[in-house]
Amino acid sequence: MRGSVVGQLILKDWVLYRTQLLLMIAGGAIGLAVVLRGGQGPFTIGAVAFFVAMVLVAHMLPMAGIVNERKNKNLAFLMSLPISSTQYTTSKLISTFGLFLISWLTLVAAAVVLIETRGMAPRGFIPMLLILALLPFVGFCLMTSAALVGETEGWAIAANVACSSSYGLIWTYMVQVPALTANAAGPVPVWNSTVLRILGVELGLIVLILALTYYLQSRKRDFI
Amino acid sequence: MNDFAIEMSGVSKRYRFFSLEDIRLNVPEGQIMGLIGPNGAGKSTTIRILLGLVHQDEGEVRVLNRRMPAEQIGAKWDIGFASEDMRLYESMTLDWHMRFIRSIYPGWDAPYAQLLLKRFGLRAEQKIKGLSHGQRVKATLLLVLARRPKLLVLDEPTTGLDPVARHEILRELTSVMADEGRSILFSSHHTQDVEQISDRITFIDRGRILDSMDKEVYLDRWRRLRLETPAGVELPALPGIIGVRQEGRLAVATANAFIPDLVGAYESAGARVQRVESMTLEEIFVANVEYSREREEVQA
Repeated sequence: MRGSVVGQLILKDWVLYRTQLLLMIAGGAIGLAVVLRGGQGPFTIGAVAFFVAMVLVAHMLPMAGIVNERKNKNLAFLMSLPISSTQYTTSKLISTFGLFLISWLTLVAAAVVLIETRGMAPRGFIPMLLILALLPFVGFCLMTSAALVGETEGWAIAANVACSSSYGLIWTYMVQVPALTANAAGPVPVWNSTVLRILGVELGLIVLILALTYYLQSRKRDFI
Repeated sequence: MNDFAIEMSGVSKRYRFFSLEDIRLNVPEGQIMGLIGPNGAGKSTTIRILLGLVHQDEGEVRVLNRRMPAEQIGAKWDIGFASEDMRLYESMTLDWHMRFIRSIYPGWDAPYAQLLLKRFGLRAEQKIKGLSHGQRVKATLLLVLARRPKLLVLDEPTTGLDPVARHEILRELTSVMADEGRSILFSSHHTQDVEQISDRITFIDRGRILDSMDKEVYLDRWRRLRLETPAGVELPALPGIIGVRQEGRLAVATANAFIPDLVGAYESAGARVQRVESMTLEEIFVANVEYSREREEVQA
């Protein structure tokens, strides 16, 4: 079957990285299964495993799909195909974004369903879950951008380290914000202005980083 | 429409520590152009500009009648590019790569791909990480050749290969040219490989084209004259002689525009011409580069 070249590049990334992706989703699912056992200990261990899986996916995709492709000199092979640098960027953004979304949505949806149906955590925890889960999403966008625009492993590693060291700090801060924690143990999700503002900032950052990446890539005169 | 597969005129590209200046390069359709230059001469940058991967600061580039880099997508449908620093996906098989390329190129010639597999001694089911360097180069060339491109651009394709593998690849490239519509730009610092298959040769050094002409013209024009100079005889400066190396009473003069009259001119000056020798392309290349660098230093 013959599709567009960009489509074939996206398909290629799916074939190349699906195994790692599925393994990481499985890791997150195991984390949720541990939380389901009940009790504070399993909740902490399971939640850590769940977020670690999400962070791993966020870091693996830009490193394997973009940085290693350049480092392993596969990029010259790809750029010999009938595509422009903008189309390459488009294919990379769609494939990495799509692959990340598959795992992110699967894990977040699974967590929400388990909260709703099995009482894995109080329903009031759902806004906090979304806020915490969107942070690796922002990190993923930042690393994808650094990998594409920076072109060197150094930039990607710098973004990786910056994101990795920020998650803990930001999560620790978030769980201490009274407007977030006050309703976390409640029976219903409360979408107050603080929750909406934080979610808005996270989503805004995602859009901003992606737009900036596209803009900077389109201005490049030397691609390889 | 014109008869050139590649046309570059007045192309410049400047980096902090290197610049490509006023590149003029024409490759007629159906010909093999050898681009020879030392490491760092600007061969790869020239090729990247040709493919639209690097944008020139000045000048016009047309490949297969398409302006580059603006029309690179259209041009690349008909260009097969392989370079020494190009790698396939290690964890995937050659068969996976063949299916990947076939999914993109409607002109993929499956029977020819099978023929190349046999000729190159490759196994489609083998993973790239299990292939030797020579096999990887052959696999890359297979993926390029089976697309049946109108223009082949090969950047140092034979670097690091053993003589047998080099011979196999050069033989295949020669057979590709049986189709007269095809053109090849072949860059290398291995002059023997270039000499073996090229119709035309371009020398490049320090970001500048030194010379570009038919291979046979180079081989006809360049000669080495071995001279004996008796005491007191001063060798005259003659047109067409680009350098004279004197060691005692013996001298070696290098001509880049040899005519038989040069022999008479030296003998009239009192020297004895022992031999007039043909030069290999490698010797011509080295002499050309040295002459150009000396001239550059004098001008500076």
